[in-house]
Amino acid sequence: MTHDRQPLDELENDALTELVNIGVSRAAVALRKMVGSAVTLSVPSVEVVGRQVAATLIRERESDPLIAVRQDFAGAFSGRALLIFPETNSLELVRAVTHDELSGAEMLDIEEEALAETGNVVLNGCLATMANILQRPLAMSLPQVLRGDGQILFELSDKPDDNGVVLFLYINFAISGRDIRGYIAMLMDLPSLQSLKELIGEFIMRVVGTDGDAR
Amino acid sequence: MMERDSGVPPELRALCGPLLDTLIQSGMALTITDHRRPGEPLVFANPAFERLTGHASGDLIGRPFGFLAAADTDPAVLSGIEQALTACRALTTDLRVVRQDGGVFWDRVCLTPVLDAQGTAPYILWTHSDQTLELARREVEADLAASRQALADAKERARLAQVVGGTAGAWEWDVAGGQLYADARFAELYGLDPVEAGKGLPTDAFFDSIHTDDRMRIRIAVAGVMHGADIFAKDYRVVGRDGAVHWVSARGGADRLPDGTACRFRGVLADVTEQKRVEEQLRVAQTAGGVGTFEYISGFGTVSVSEQFCLLLGLHPTTALPVRTVNAVVHPDDAPLITSLDGGETAPPYREFRIRRPDTGEIRWLAQRGEHRRDGQRDRDARQGTGSRFIGVIYDITASKDAEEKLRQFAETLEARVEERTRERDRVWNNSRDLLVIIGADGIFRSASPSWTAILGYAVDEVKGRRVQVFVHPEDLAVTEDALNGAIHDQNLTNFENRLLHKDGSLRWVSWNTSKEGDLVYAYGRDITEDKQRADTLRQTEEQLRQAQKMEAVGQLTGGLAHDFNNMLMGVIGGLDIVRRRISQGRLSDLDRFMDASMASAQRAAALTHRLLAFSRQQSLDPKPIDVNDLVRSMEDLLRRTLGEQIELRVNMAENLVAARSDANQLESAILNLAINARDAMPDGGILTIETGRATLDRAYAARHDGLSAGDYIMIRVSDTGMGMPPDVVAKAFDPFFTTKPIGQGTGLGLSMIYGFVKQTGGHVRIDSEMWRGTAITLYLPCDGGDNAHDPGMAGMGETPEGAGEIVLVVEDDESVRLLVLDVLQELGYTALHAADGRGALSVIESSSQIDLLITDVGLPGLNGRQLAEIARRRRPDLPVLFVTGYAANAAVRGDFLDEGMDMVMKPFAMDELAAKIRGILEVRQRNP
Amino acid sequence: MGTTVLIVDDSKLARIVVGKALAALQPAWTKIEAGNADEALAALRDRQVDLAVLDFNMPGRNGLELAEQMRHRYPDMPIALATANVQDEVVARARAANATFVSKPITEDGIRDFVAGAALKLRAVHG
Repeated sequence: MTHDRQPLDELENDALTELVNIGVSRAAVALRKMVGSAVTLSVPSVEVVGRQVAATLIRERESDPLIAVRQDFAGAFSGRALLIFPETNSLELVRAVTHDELSGAEMLDIEEEALAETGNVVLNGCLATMANILQRPLAMSLPQVLRGDGQILFELSDKPDDNGVVLFLYINFAISGRDIRGYIAMLMDLPSLQSLKELIGEFIMRVVGTDGDAR
Repeated sequence: MMERDSGVPPELRALCGPLLDTLIQSGMALTITDHRRPGEPLVFANPAFERLTGHASGDLIGRPFGFLAAADTDPAVLSGIEQALTACRALTTDLRVVRQDGGVFWDRVCLTPVLDAQGTAPYILWTHSDQTLELARREVEADLAASRQALADAKERARLAQVVGGTAGAWEWDVAGGQLYADARFAELYGLDPVEAGKGLPTDAFFDSIHTDDRMRIRIAVAGVMHGADIFAKDYRVVGRDGAVHWVSARGGADRLPDGTACRFRGVLADVTEQKRVEEQLRVAQTAGGVGTFEYISGFGTVSVSEQFCLLLGLHPTTALPVRTVNAVVHPDDAPLITSLDGGETAPPYREFRIRRPDTGEIRWLAQRGEHRRDGQRDRDARQGTGSRFIGVIYDITASKDAEEKLRQFAETLEARVEERTRERDRVWNNSRDLLVIIGADGIFRSASPSWTAILGYAVDEVKGRRVQVFVHPEDLAVTEDALNGAIHDQNLTNFENRLLHKDGSLRWVSWNTSKEGDLVYAYGRDITEDKQRADTLRQTEEQLRQAQKMEAVGQLTGGLAHDFNNMLMGVIGGLDIVRRRISQGRLSDLDRFMDASMASAQRAAALTHRLLAFSRQQSLDPKPIDVNDLVRSMEDLLRRTLGEQIELRVNMAENLVAARSDANQLESAILNLAINARDAMPDGGILTIETGRATLDRAYAARHDGLSAGDYIMIRVSDTGMGMPPDVVAKAFDPFFTTKPIGQGTGLGLSMIYGFVKQTGGHVRIDSEMWRGTAITLYLPCDGGDNAHDPGMAGMGETPEGAGEIVLVVEDDESVRLLVLDVLQELGYTALHAADGRGALSVIESSSQIDLLITDVGLPGLNGRQLAEIARRRRPDLPVLFVTGYAANAAVRGDFLDEGMDMVMKPFAMDELAAKIRGILEVRQRNP
Repeated sequence: MGTTVLIVDDSKLARIVVGKALAALQPAWTKIEAGNADEALAALRDRQVDLAVLDFNMPGRNGLELAEQMRHRYPDMPIALATANVQDEVVARARAANATFVSKPITEDGIRDFVAGAALKLRAVHG
């Protein structure tokens, strides 16, 4: 349950949470523009856990059919970002981003692709903002729509590394006036986490070194 | 036996057989009504029911079943009972019942029709159990849930009120101008000059007053706002000009230019020091009480939970869980744990449900208490959903559920047994299930019923013509011969119990009744082996219930102590802080004072934790010599804290007191309980006196009290100047579950537990009370035979004993612990040898080197400490061994673990404690070389 | 002859959104759509196109590569690169290809400056 190596110390964890907070704020602005109504967010929670614990977490947390938009990112640190919501929410989300202007048949037609585009906008907004703040470029894959249970969504790499750790990042969002809720999750493995740790260190230095109003 | 003829209708006894007596004597409240008479009149009530209700059995007989129901009883409950009676089926329901003293309690009634051979029910059997305890627990939980909510509300209200009332501090940070403007309240909290703050300060001022431990994370959070984060919502500590530390809760956000750049960062700040303190108390109470909390905002896919919540569900501890995960743990037949109001559903305020723990697969019963609130809109700026909130607590009730279930099964099997019995009763000798025998005046069996074969394995022919003694267990031979002799001489036996031998060598308990006719003794023997076992089961069930209730008491106790605990922690933190500051300033003189103060605080906190743990541990009694003066002295501090300022604690101790023989943990718990009772008896303050002394109980006094022998005792008396108790209350004070406290304030188990424990260790308890004058409760503990009351392990705080060059072998794989032990040994004047593992140690042990003591860790790599000790003892049979262990579990079974000349010390240990253990173990060896 | 705008995006939803924003600002413009870089190049061969709005993140060649390729034949065509990928690096590359960076999701406000600038430039070219 506890992890011998805690890759991020408390302050770094705080800083990462704040980074995500900034990124997701940006993503929420994007989503707000797409659906035309308020988007509420929870305070993000960041957890770094071992792979074994991660497997348990996934089993515990994701048992129902889910739909997710997945985008992989690569650069100074690499990983996977997911926009996840219950499968039953899918059409409602499509309806929201098309402002209720399409017929049922048209919606079914466009569903997959509308989800991908929404995920693209939200995840890109979040990741790009983080990349800018950390001052390292990130290459982003095309969005991919996945359906399945948590186990499938969270598969990080093909070769399991028993010593690996996974960064779990959860932030809830809900769209007001619609029955849409979901969350954003981000996964990274140990090498990426080490690079990220350094970048976060630089970020902290910039912030603390020149006072809080540093840009 | 004594109940045989106490009013049970003979017809019913014939139907039920011996099981009825077991039930009547089981301590479970039981009544019987006559189903054939109108109004279902009561025909029998056992002593347990009399105790439960305070009504004498004589006053109850002949009254209709419902006459004890309280005036406010729900008519639906009564009509439900009537329907069950009419349909002649079993029913369990909760009924409000009036005690003789006018008090009302919740009676869980379980009624069972007793069927006769024709399938009609002449009687109804009712069992009663007081649910007040369960309700008391619910109330405590409700309070906890309410206080958690109240806290959240209070925090928010405090912030809003402070904003509205102008007591919140406000700031505005001009990003372009690089200036911080703040109002007077902000300046006060931050220890800034209000005039300067109003005119504008360098922006560093925002961080300079923040507690160093929080400063970095607040800098990062502010940077987040500057970079585009929507919300700034942080709690942190600020240090005022006077050095006082305050918790503040800050909420703010940025005004942005169209390109997203922040131009102004504004917000308000409120003092939440008090709320933080309560929050911490609550957290401690939750953990100790095993209560998990949750908060669900409808619309979100996850629930905010406490760690305890996850542990109760068997999930990995975290602060947020998806709703689906939480609900997936709940048993498929039970309603989901988390529901939202949006679908129009409402959750009942209290419910019980089952879960299957994902980690162990075990089924457990949990109780949930929660509340839906529609207040999401109000907290617009706090990033919440727009629907309702669902807030609540959960806790494990498996123990009480199990106990309840066992009692229920007990009542249910009755019906089956009754049917069996009925059939038997109708048949004659040949079909009798009980032993029917005819014995001659010469003590030889003339005849035996075939049941002998069924019960004892011998054919009837093998019994006839043989002496009675042949079949009796050797240990019961003498009493059986006496009894038989009596029976032959016209002294009929009633329920004479002995053990008979089965043909296969096993034993059967049989209860005999005899009558003499002519020269023959007619004997009727009932196999009560199963009943004996059943009585054991019931005892165990009660034991579990008691433990469950004890845990509840821990929860309550901890809540009250959290405050003190925090103070002690403050003492530790404060002292260390000063030391750190002084060191950084190079002022090294006088540091000891602060270190000592920190140490003392930490030790007090540790002692408190130990006591709580000891109290909550399920343990059997372990009577040992105890210096009661030492024990009382060690508790003084805890007691003063528990009692509060209104109550003066006086301690009068007799000098040169010999040791008592008792269980130290239980005795501490007893004294603590008595002190708490005394405190509660003095709501307006008063004096609580604890005395110790020697007392002689004379023959006349001892004769009046069952099982008490005359002689010298050690006495501990706890007296108060409170309101006292009327004589009828004094008479019942030792009854289990009897309490004078309102629901929710006590379990009523305190005195009966104390009574039970003292009796078990051969002592006596006495109550003296006078209305409006006070109460004194005196515990008489037997004196110890030996003269040394000091448990060497307890001597920790005294002067450090010193060694005289003895050679000690230390085996410990953890290098830092090993160094520490070696250091201590050297300082104490011992010569130390050392090894990092069993293999290294063996080469020393097998050498010719002198070794006076082996100190070894239990958990060593390879050969463990226990195995090492065994091998060492083979080579050096008298070698004293001191085990070091970090596992409480090892320490708990020390009796099984330790041979003569062995002892154990728990990590972490104080140097003094280790020294005392070493000295103790070596001294024993010198005394018995 | 009227003005024709080419909208290139693999997402039909995004094309609808861009189309609506453009229609609100310049109702008279003719809109043609393409789902990837190859379709876009084919459309450019078939029709007279005056300006283009390109998505960055597309399967096959991305929007930046397409813009760089189009620049050879249409050095002066107003081109917008639309993406939610607001990384400084992407913005800089768009600028280097002489394309206007527009952040996704596209709104009327977000694309107004680009449309106004393009309209002005086209009037100057076509007189």
